[in-house]
Amino acid sequence: MSVRKFLPALLVSTGLTLLMLPLQEAIDLSNTALLYVLVVVLIGSRYGRGPAIATALLSALLYAHVFVPPLFSLAITEVQYLLAAVVMLVVALLVGHLTASLKAQAEQVQARETQARALYDLARHLSAAQTPIEVEEIASRFLGTALQANHTRILPESAFAAPPPPLTAALLQSALAGRHPLLSAGGDPRHTLAMTPLIASGPPHVLACELPVEQAGSEATRAFLETASSVLTVALERTHFAEVARETELRRAAESLRSSILSALSHDLRTPLTVMVGLADTLALGKASPERQKSMLGALRNQALSINQLVTNLLDMARLRSGTIELNQEWQPIDEVIGATLRQVRAHWKEREVTLDIPSGLPPLRFDAVLVERVLWNLLENAIKYSPADTPVELVVRRFGEWLDVMICDWGPGLPADGGEELFGLFRRGQAESSIPGVGLGLAIARSIAEAHGGQVLAENRMGGGACFRLRLPLGSAPTLSDLEDET
Amino acid sequence: MSETPTILLVEDDPQIRELVAATLEGEGYAIVEAGTAVQGAVEAGACKPDLLILDLGLPDRNGINFIRDYRIWSAVPILVLSARSQEISKVTALDAGADDYLTKPFGVSELLARVRALLRRPAAEREQLEPTIEFGDCRIDCVRRQVTRAGEPLHLTDIQYRLLILLASNPGRVLTHRQLLLQIWGGRAVENNQYLRVYVGHLRQKIERIPAQPQHILTEIGVGYRFQP
Repeated sequence: MSVRKFLPALLVSTGLTLLMLPLQEAIDLSNTALLYVLVVVLIGSRYGRGPAIATALLSALLYAHVFVPPLFSLAITEVQYLLAAVVMLVVALLVGHLTASLKAQAEQVQARETQARALYDLARHLSAAQTPIEVEEIASRFLGTALQANHTRILPESAFAAPPPPLTAALLQSALAGRHPLLSAGGDPRHTLAMTPLIASGPPHVLACELPVEQAGSEATRAFLETASSVLTVALERTHFAEVARETELRRAAESLRSSILSALSHDLRTPLTVMVGLADTLALGKASPERQKSMLGALRNQALSINQLVTNLLDMARLRSGTIELNQEWQPIDEVIGATLRQVRAHWKEREVTLDIPSGLPPLRFDAVLVERVLWNLLENAIKYSPADTPVELVVRRFGEWLDVMICDWGPGLPADGGEELFGLFRRGQAESSIPGVGLGLAIARSIAEAHGGQVLAENRMGGGACFRLRLPLGSAPTLSDLEDET
Repeated sequence: MSETPTILLVEDDPQIRELVAATLEGEGYAIVEAGTAVQGAVEAGACKPDLLILDLGLPDRNGINFIRDYRIWSAVPILVLSARSQEISKVTALDAGADDYLTKPFGVSELLARVRALLRRPAAEREQLEPTIEFGDCRIDCVRRQVTRAGEPLHLTDIQYRLLILLASNPGRVLTHRQLLLQIWGGRAVENNQYLRVYVGHLRQKIERIPAQPQHILTEIGVGYRFQP
């Protein structure tokens, strides 16, 4: 406690004495004593116990010396004056002590509240933390403001072998073994290393930080560190289990994808292969009529092509899923890719009517032509396969504000009642077990590609029956072209 | 060119080699087969083929490098066979000097159409003999630089005319974006595919019946354009 706090005690008691001196005649002696008590209360509430006691003693002396007859002498002649002086001293001491205690308590409560608030903030921030790194960042920020800590780190046991200096493996190990905050001299004399174990059912960690020496010594800091460490432990444990859950989910998804692929392959690949082997065997026997042979050869080719389509889709899906696909985006009109896809579709399904309705003067879009062709092909193929052969498939292009929609509509049975969102899953088929070839990857691929372009693929039923699939791509603003023709 | 065109087939997969060789022999071409790039290079020097069919995925050498080396000393047309996962190497092969490509699996009719197109006399030779090109209801008079459609003269800009001539004088062959840009605009424009698309769009408006569903200037997605007379 500094001497400075006692100075006001001295000044106020002396000041009061000087002030009262001219009024000595007017004010009763007992009232003067009360004024001294008041001063003691004021000092006690402001400067604490020590100055309050000092003021009480000083006031008693001054009172006895200046005001109690005989004036300007410590001698007290009458018993009642003595009594008044002693009572004043005792009251002053008691009140001063009580006031000072109250103040200390209030301060303690306030400090606790600040810490509680800080801890609450810590817990609140930690609730959003997803990874141990984020937990470490939050702890660093928090301990920095609450305890002026530097270099806060949260080290897992696996990092103990090579910890950042001045930490050592032995220190960290003993902190872990100790179960309580461990303090050790830091790299420089003004700082102390504090290592707090964070132990729960997950892998153990140690919270290490550098604290200012005066901060590190106090019991409050130690208690605070322990509380903070329990909050951090919970957060770390949560991130640990979130990670475990994520991994499990990934494994489960990979597992289910693999089994889906296997079942799809076993059904959708084996069927055409069986047909092909049978056709080849029958042809090898050479007993069929020439017309029949010709149609069998045609069937053989179709089966092979459907296997090719299946393998293509599987490879596309694998590439899209693995994230290795790189978009080769360029500004280009959508007409080109639509025209080229339609040409291929018409060459493949020669008997099927596919109509095109595209306005002229559409702005160019930025996309990967090869991938968008896959989307259009898949949507057209679906429309052709899942609608009656004598109905046309319609391709309509429209601009809606900042989007360009390519709609592929058929006159088939339309989407299932639940809106058809199911159809976009992997290995989903419109009709689960049907003679229509395919593995149910087309729409999933189409959607993945559209999303990679910042667009989407939507499904809806059209008025009057039939389904409409909509490839929606963002228009963006194409760079303006300077006219090259003028330069040549 | 001799009476029977000779085709050198460089392909490492024996079944595809067998299939292509059998198909082409059936059409009356003479076939020389090679299973590796090294063997292919030797045969190319020995048999003086009229056409080279090259698989891009050879075990001993990158097909692109093979094309580059071959182009140094020979102008014989090259038809590249590529798998679907080789989108980029397909374009690289064409830019390196290959004349056309087929993606596996390909149909026999497609193969024969490409071979026939490539075995036609090269453009430079024919233009000297035939100063006019006709397709659909259009006619190009190369001497007077005039294009007519159904007898009516078409007004083409300089660039549009050059683009049309370049495409039309290579019927059935694919020309990459890069090749077209290089020949029409010169070296500084080779990355500007957008210019090319704008001009092709304009050209289609003038010569195609339905510009959105072209019959003559066909888009090879991700590669370039192919002219169909």
